[in-house]
Amino acid sequence: MNLDAVPSYLTPTGQEIVFLLLGAVAVGSALLVVTTRQLVHAALWLVVTFGALAGCYLVLTAEFVAWVQVLIYVGAVVVLLLFGIMLTRAPIGRSPDLDSGNRVLAAVVALATAVLLVTVVIDGFRTAYAPLTEVDGAAKTIGSSIFRTWVLPFEALSVLLLAALIGAIVLSRTDIRGRD
Amino acid sequence: MISAPTIEYLEIAPLLLVFGAAIIGVLVEAFAPRHLRSAFHIPLTLLAIAGAFVLTVLLAVDKTRTVAVMGALAIDGTTLFLWGTILVLAFISVLLMNDEGQFVAQAAAVPGSAEEQEAVLEGQAQTEVYPLALFAIGGMLIFPASNDLLMLFVALEVMSLPLYLLCGLARRRRLLSQEAAVKYFLLGAFSSGFLLYGIAMLYGYAGSLDLAKISAALGTVSGMDPLLVLGTALLGVGMLFKIGAAPFQAWKPDVYQGAPTPVTALMASGTLVAAFGALLRVFWVALGNLDWDWSPILWGVAILTMVIGVILAITQTDIKRMLAYSSIAHAGFLLTAFVATGGPEQNRVALSSILFYLAAYGVTTVGAFAVVTMVRDTGGEAGHLSRWAGLGKRSPILAGVFAFFLLAFAGIPLTSGFLGKYAVFQAAVAGGATPLVIVGVVTSAIAAFFYARVIVLMFFSEPAADGPVIAAPTVGTALVVALAATVTVVLGVLPQPMLDLAGAAARSLFVY
Repeated sequence: MNLDAVPSYLTPTGQEIVFLLLGAVAVGSALLVVTTRQLVHAALWLVVTFGALAGCYLVLTAEFVAWVQVLIYVGAVVVLLLFGIMLTRAPIGRSPDLDSGNRVLAAVVALATAVLLVTVVIDGFRTAYAPLTEVDGAAKTIGSSIFRTWVLPFEALSVLLLAALIGAIVLSRTDIRGRD
Repeated sequence: MISAPTIEYLEIAPLLLVFGAAIIGVLVEAFAPRHLRSAFHIPLTLLAIAGAFVLTVLLAVDKTRTVAVMGALAIDGTTLFLWGTILVLAFISVLLMNDEGQFVAQAAAVPGSAEEQEAVLEGQAQTEVYPLALFAIGGMLIFPASNDLLMLFVALEVMSLPLYLLCGLARRRRLLSQEAAVKYFLLGAFSSGFLLYGIAMLYGYAGSLDLAKISAALGTVSGMDPLLVLGTALLGVGMLFKIGAAPFQAWKPDVYQGAPTPVTALMASGTLVAAFGALLRVFWVALGNLDWDWSPILWGVAILTMVIGVILAITQTDIKRMLAYSSIAHAGFLLTAFVATGGPEQNRVALSSILFYLAAYGVTTVGAFAVVTMVRDTGGEAGHLSRWAGLGKRSPILAGVFAFFLLAFAGIPLTSGFLGKYAVFQAAVAGGATPLVIVGVVTSAIAAFFYARVIVLMFFSEPAADGPVIAAPTVGTALVVALAATVTVVLGVLPQPMLDLAGAAARSLFVY
């Protein structure tokens, strides 16, 4: 953290402007997720939120995290949500009963969490300024770290996934008979 | 270009063999015809474990002492001793698995359904238990050798996940077994969360996951004590859960009772050894200079563990639950030497006593559970203690062997249990933990009461008319009982070679 070379906030760089815009998009679409009256729209607004967040990561040069965000959250999680909606009631159009009785409580919890996180970040960093020259988030750095320093945990994780896969099949499938 | 990592294939050969055999086991599941699978799995699993043991012995003869695979594993005397112990315990536990009637015919069939009956009649078997057990054993090997916290966490999961699954695959009393699996899974996941949180805190404190660097940071980083203390506490919770120390012992009786008995044997021996090894490495290597902070808390944990273990064991009426509480008490006895840290010489004595205890206790435990598998009712194993009444009149040899194992648990002279207890208590006294040893001796005396109660029940009660039958043991089970009894006697009468081995393993303490 370099406290001397803090540039003026009145002359933002292009990066900073893009970051702020993406942040605004993320917050705005997140608000729409919880306020929209159409369930499917909420899921789609969630795509925008996650996408904007991925954009933020990209601006911060964390390209790997950004693509993981796109793959897992935009790709897998939202698709899972949409499947969930499709396979249950599949409500298309406005649903009047989307608000639960807990909305006030939920809003309080959400606000409290936001206040906590923002205070911690502001308290922790204040006017600290870190120029984005390093490439810690680049795929190359992470790749070399995984396949050099963390190669054994990485390989052991693949074993873990295999064991989990077998376990899931053993516990759930009766229709795989195999050769007799 | 990313330069290739250095991987010491020779030093991690035991691991590679176990995991390789597990993957071949998966392929057997995929391609072998159903009726041939067991015939493939049993030799494959046993040979892999035996081979890994031979490789471990070769490494030990070679006096290997190195940090391997980019600092992920520390392979030193302690690691090799624990690997040898775990592999022997795994071998005899797998011999117990080789028994029809232990594992479910089809795990996915609803208990009591027509589908289940059909699967039983067709003679189906869930042979996936062998590769799953190998995965768990591989995890047990990595766990005590982990030299950084990330490896530690991954190893813990590799060890635990297959065990969660195996717990739910009992053939009899399936609902109890599934309940045990779910409980173990949920509580295990919860404790993993604690462990991860602790790891994150320690990383925040030290800026590294490497145990040696965390140890170095204790002297240089200042002003972040809350992170350090909180991280140590959370890490401790996660690891004490795995050894079943109080107040994190609640899962043990339920899980031991519900799991198929061979799996219980593997958990009670192998997992305890692996988890204790990992606990030793993390607290002695990374946090060794902090022992003024964690020692008093672990004193409390040790006392609580011993007391809760023996007092609740008295109230048990199920043999497997009683053995579970006994296992909790033994974790407490081990902790007495664990907290007795001091200078290098003291640490060596404490470490070697713990290693000896783990080996002696593990073998006896597998033997005791092997006997449990043989005493059967119409509905499977005769779990309730009242069913064991008069067993000594029906089958004097089996009851005699079981009584012998119980005496070893109680720590009667001329058994391995006595020397194990003597060694850890001696180390604890030398390390200034005399009050702990007094609690240990008192609780041992209480423990002797409930072990003796079972012996009295077996030999001095009249057998019930419809009492349980003694199943004719399979070759594997008979071998396990014979081997465990022999080891318990030999370690009790001629302990010196094993004590020397443990002493040599502990001689240079840890490499990091």
